[in-house]
Amino acid sequence: MSTRVTPPQYHAQLTGTAADWLSRLDAGTADVVAFEAWRDADARHAAAFAEVAATWRDLDGLRLMPTDAPMIDPALGTMPRRQILRAAMGAAVAAALGGGFAYRAYARDHAVTGVGEHLAVSPAPGLSIDLNTDSRISWRMSAPQQLCLEQGEIAIASKGGCELAVNGESFRLAAGHYNARLRGDSCELAVFSGGISNGAGLHLVAGEMALMAGARVTLRTSDKAELGRVTAWRHDTLVLNGESLDYALGEINRYLKDKIVIGDPALARIRLGGTFGTRNPAEFLQALQDSFGVRATTGANGGIILTRG
Amino acid sequence: MSWLRDIDRWFIAQVLPHAAAYRARAAYFCGAEEAEDLVQEAYARVLKTPDYRTISTPRAFVLTIVHHLALERLRRARVVRIEALACLDALDMPDPSPDAFAVAAGRSELQHWLVMIDSLPPQCARVMRMRKVQGLSPAAIAEELSISISTVEKHIAKGLALITIGRREHEARLEEACRPESRPRNITRN
Repeated sequence: MSTRVTPPQYHAQLTGTAADWLSRLDAGTADVVAFEAWRDADARHAAAFAEVAATWRDLDGLRLMPTDAPMIDPALGTMPRRQILRAAMGAAVAAALGGGFAYRAYARDHAVTGVGEHLAVSPAPGLSIDLNTDSRISWRMSAPQQLCLEQGEIAIASKGGCELAVNGESFRLAAGHYNARLRGDSCELAVFSGGISNGAGLHLVAGEMALMAGARVTLRTSDKAELGRVTAWRHDTLVLNGESLDYALGEINRYLKDKIVIGDPALARIRLGGTFGTRNPAEFLQALQDSFGVRATTGANGGIILTRG
Repeated sequence: MSWLRDIDRWFIAQVLPHAAAYRARAAYFCGAEEAEDLVQEAYARVLKTPDYRTISTPRAFVLTIVHHLALERLRRARVVRIEALACLDALDMPDPSPDAFAVAAGRSELQHWLVMIDSLPPQCARVMRMRKVQGLSPAAIAEELSISISTVEKHIAKGLALITIGRREHEARLEEACRPESRPRNITRN
């Protein structure tokens, strides 16, 4: 082996190559024979790979940390019990302090999130609810399996089934994973696993979504990608797939105290695609600027106005 | 991680935790700009050691390799740092508090990981969080974000490389902070 001094870029590149291999091995798409040939070709390759593998392994420690956005993954089952307990305890502590986003009432319990907040609660064993921004649910203390979605959006993971009341209608949810969102007077239900029924003959199965506006029910079957978009909020993301700027702003503004508004009507027709963080609109605004030359100016009241640059 | 060989597991468990000490030692002789290269060369030598299992103190073993490699380089170099010359043969230079770094790192490491992930480009940070904090599989991440698996792989590779490089720099700073006086030890006789 040469002992010639190599530039630091060489090590950065080698680390990059090792990380490429690891990510492909992790996803199961790597050609293992080619990987081993690369590793065996030079002990420096082996050292670089061991180093990124060590980082990769150490990052696993993060799984044990409480996060500010605990999740329930339909694909993987429920979130770790410790996280549910922690979230529920958080709600109880907030209740004891008489403030925050959750409190106790006499006959009913509530969980509430403000704009931009995200909360997980567990009203009963085997039942965990993830609340999106600006949402509110309640349940009877004596019957915590009977939930009422009063505002906003929730993800439900139920092991033993539960009831959900929305807009005065009651639905029976079998054990499974669901998403429910109130849009004004209508309600959108999505079934990831399990099934939803009501007294009027409605029956939704896994992979179906229903928009209910009064007595009118619009049913549609969704593919996995679309269902994934429905729950992207649990990762604090918004997935757009060719929607208009109008629609996109409606979605992202749900998470923002200072709303973004269109200052030039012609902009409303812009169509957008991509994944954006909902916690900080900067990325979204930057994408608008880069792709469409849309300029964002902050108004006197803190709101953001979009105009053509 | 089934893609690791026995020697890799040993290397990760016994050698890498003291990386900052090797870099500090290498920098002492050859200067910070050459330290990483020297350490990587030492790693390569270690990974070529057939009877690695018989090494009783891997940290001291690697420090010695670093030292020898430094001497080789210094002897070949036309211009030699004066402070390096002064301790050219001081093989018994003190090995400062072996556990100081490990203790400091253990306390704050997880928080530090999160900060490092959050400093990545937004989409890259998101994918790393989904993979390592939330434990989603690459396929599930691809679905959730409506992107291809190969894009997920690229984000993970980029994030992992940047974090590994950032970690080296962070460890070097921590080691510097933990290191007592780097002067040769005073020997007193009564």
